[in-house]
Amino acid sequence: MPYREKTAWLTLIAIALTFGPYFGAVAARGRAVGAVPDLHQLGLFAIAVAAQVIIMAAGFAYFAITSPHDARTPPDERDRAITSRSITFAYYVLIAGMVLVGGIMPFNSSGWAIINAALFMIVAAEVVHYGIIVISYRRQA
Amino acid sequence: MSGGSITNRIRTLRFLNGEISQAELGQRIGVTRQTIAAIEAGKYSPTLEAAFRIAHAFNVPLDEVFQWTADCG
Repeated sequence: MPYREKTAWLTLIAIALTFGPYFGAVAARGRAVGAVPDLHQLGLFAIAVAAQVIIMAAGFAYFAITSPHDARTPPDERDRAITSRSITFAYYVLIAGMVLVGGIMPFNSSGWAIINAALFMIVAAEVVHYGIIVISYRRQA
Repeated sequence: MSGGSITNRIRTLRFLNGEISQAELGQRIGVTRQTIAAIEAGKYSPTLEAAFRIAHAFNVPLDEVFQWTADCG
């Protein structure tokens, strides 16, 4: 498996393990999520970010130890083409999300609802980005 | 734009050049082993520069490495 596919899988798994439960907790709290600042909500977000940083750091350290040559090799033309295509798709997701969050939600929502919607769209764009990388490598494998 | 398919003789040329590995060929032209595997399997079309580099690595003209066939109709 190409090194960059491995790192894309790592990122997807890290997102699933951190922001999956985070948005699950957000959905479970529903309207209990209060206005800014809501320290409980802020705490959940901090835990999700810290957990993602730890998972990513551990994963990259593991890859650097088990396949040091691959980790040092710069991306080649196929890697760059795949990254470019995935960023293009993720960009559309992010723009659609920002239009929704920044242009529509301020009229009927406030506080953490807007923040969480923005976070969700950023995470969704990241999932699309790394998901397309994984799919592209699988299709060309 | 009419369709077509690109084929290549990289596997044969690797054999004729002392069975050099995909990794070694990749190293010579500056791409990963997986990219050579994808090109060889026809699942990735390299840039023109990479195509020329591959031909140069085998010391043959480009059209001895890659062939393009137009779709009929």
